[in-house]
Amino acid sequence: MSLISFPFLIFIIILLITYYRISPKHQWKVLLIGSIVFYAWVRPVYIVFIAVSIVTTWALMKKPSRSHWIMTLIVNLGILIVFRYSVYFNVHSLIVPLGISFYTFMTLGYAHDCMGKKIEPEQNLFHYALFISYFPQITQGPIGTYQDMKEQLISPHEFKMDNIRSGGYRVIKGLFKKLVIAGRLTYYVDTVFSSPKNYGGLTLIIAVFFYAVELYADFSGYMDIVCGISKMLDIRLAENFKRPYFSRNIQEYWRRWHISLNEWFKEHLMMPAVTSGWNRKASKFLGKIFPKAKKGNLRTVLPLILVWIVTGIWHGAEDVYIGWGVYFAIIMLFSVCTMSYMKKIRTAIHWNDENVFIKIFQTLRTFIIVLFGEVMFRAHSLKDAFAIYKNIFTTTRINASTITASLVPFGNGNQAAASVIILSVLITGLFIVELCKEKNEEAFTKHRYVYAAGMLIVMSLFGVAGQSNFMYQAF
Amino acid sequence: MKKILITLSAALIIICAAVAFKNVYSCEIPIGNRGIRAAIMEGDLDILLIGSSTFRSNLDIHELDKAFDNRAYIISYGGNQYAATDIQYDEIKKRSDNDHKLMVFELDPLMLTEEVKLSDSRVIWDLSFEGKKALWEKLKSVGNTDLSIMYEYFVTSGMDDLITYPVTERFYSTRYYKGAKTDDTPSSGKEFLENEEFDISDSVLIEAQADAVKEVIEKCRRDGQDFIFLECPHYYRLEDDPKYREYHDYFLKMMDDLDAPYILAHDVDFDNRNPDYYEDMSHMSGEGRRVYTKELIKHLPVSD
Repeated sequence: MSLISFPFLIFIIILLITYYRISPKHQWKVLLIGSIVFYAWVRPVYIVFIAVSIVTTWALMKKPSRSHWIMTLIVNLGILIVFRYSVYFNVHSLIVPLGISFYTFMTLGYAHDCMGKKIEPEQNLFHYALFISYFPQITQGPIGTYQDMKEQLISPHEFKMDNIRSGGYRVIKGLFKKLVIAGRLTYYVDTVFSSPKNYGGLTLIIAVFFYAVELYADFSGYMDIVCGISKMLDIRLAENFKRPYFSRNIQEYWRRWHISLNEWFKEHLMMPAVTSGWNRKASKFLGKIFPKAKKGNLRTVLPLILVWIVTGIWHGAEDVYIGWGVYFAIIMLFSVCTMSYMKKIRTAIHWNDENVFIKIFQTLRTFIIVLFGEVMFRAHSLKDAFAIYKNIFTTTRINASTITASLVPFGNGNQAAASVIILSVLITGLFIVELCKEKNEEAFTKHRYVYAAGMLIVMSLFGVAGQSNFMYQAF
Repeated sequence: MKKILITLSAALIIICAAVAFKNVYSCEIPIGNRGIRAAIMEGDLDILLIGSSTFRSNLDIHELDKAFDNRAYIISYGGNQYAATDIQYDEIKKRSDNDHKLMVFELDPLMLTEEVKLSDSRVIWDLSFEGKKALWEKLKSVGNTDLSIMYEYFVTSGMDDLITYPVTERFYSTRYYKGAKTDDTPSSGKEFLENEEFDISDSVLIEAQADAVKEVIEKCRRDGQDFIFLECPHYYRLEDDPKYREYHDYFLKMMDDLDAPYILAHDVDFDNRNPDYYEDMSHMSGEGRRVYTKELIKHLPVSD
């Protein structure tokens, strides 16, 4: 069931009414049934795979042990690999269960926390099933943790009008980002990336920039919708974005983009890898090759590479995702390894991090680094990605002819000017709102009715109809 | 709750007003230099061409004006849709008593393979509410009408033009003259044209488009309107494509069966292998447009 569909609207209305009308102690059951209906809506067979994962993990983790942990890994990663990556072995007939990458990570996170005694294993299968299958987060996250979610999901909730108001406002905001901003950029981005060799440098730069905005508007728009829906149910989901494009360095960017996935990797892959025996041995070996390097830095080298390659593969086994992972691994390693030198240089030249121009420079630099990575993330193949880089560096000119050519992917020439104006207003608007929020979290919290009405009007008249799929659904 | 209802009601009223305005009055908004309303304002014409962006890019209006004493006009917002051409013809006839000595319609074999859809939302702006309804009926008759398409058709499409009209009209009016492009579009160069990727191998005939061609011919005959179909030359790589040839032959057979007049690309002395003449496979550069139109004029059978 798509979040942007009439059936979902009906579903959520019925669910909300039932949820608040029923005895509070049974509310969690409504959520569980609702989640099952939501999940089975597209293909009932999906339920089988998630059920296998839920039951086996719950049963094995009731009494955590090393052998149970290994079996949990085999079952969950096995299902994930068979379904998610079978396509790369020319097995096209398998139906990839909805949200499998997300719920597998939640499952493994839960099991790992049980193993590390961070949480008490859940004794009630249905409570655990609700944690994994909770419908707002099942398809695209956020990848919730059991600590955060358990109490909220199980405990009774009172009806509060404020939850409906603020949740509804957030849903409208998310729909606006998705239907108006992301939806409008899709055509240009898809056109250029489908045959990048046909376009000159300027057009490619615009397409890459548009893609960055599209991806953010689409993914953060989705998060706004699901967080808003969850808020209406009085359940707080983890935030996944914190204005990432205002980050001043790449580490900060990854602390503000897809936060729950990166937290998951940090918690369940990076930290165990850093403290592992094999890494200690490997870092000692590296220390012999680079005797001047700091021990702490050496210990992070291999885990960083591992985490970024796994992050790439998590998105897909195509060369572009692995390339993207390697790219960010290199950037992060460079950043870690040069940190102390850069600190010395900054002190020597009296570099002031609080200077506004320095802040702008750092933000732009980070954004450009991200854009370069996103070329690989969006391109159909590494070959295409390198063709884009090549064209950007060799054919970028700014003159009347290239500017006219850059309007071609807007589609029909006679509408390009209108598209340019509307997109400029929308992107500038998004930038201003995000900038104000960056300076003051409380910005735009007053007069929300006016903003909501404005967004509804713009969305209804200028939204792109028929955009029901979100980009991260593919992962 | 009260505030929520007021917010929703206010938004709804504004949305409905904008939608009504777009659907009923957009065709009355004064637009210089292009579209059906401007064509009607021109009065009687020697030659009126109705087609897609190919006409806009491949015909030099100044050359046509020179040849026909300023009595030429191009309507070029069909979006590769014969279904739209048919409706545009009706609109012209219904909304004016203007005399058009010759109407020229596009003969593009690949237009027969275009799915019936709203591929140029500009056409929505141009049509009266009756015209919009008629085009919608056509879309419905071929089944391309789910709720989102209906929403797009009656609500969102053309809204960009409407909201940006005060700004974009000034820009467009410098770019177009009597429906044709006036800028001196440069060629994309031999390397680009020789390597531009296109794949029409899986295109299939859309009966509704062929039916619309037949309807246009029928209507012209019914109204005593002189007409001709014109095939603008594509860059040779596209014309040599076997699928293009296949639909080209189909189109000609249809024309011959209906005894309809036409001018083919090779009837006009024009070198479609010269990359200087093209912007892409179908659209000409400024130079190509001038050279082609000069030659084409010799073949246009406008009666005195």
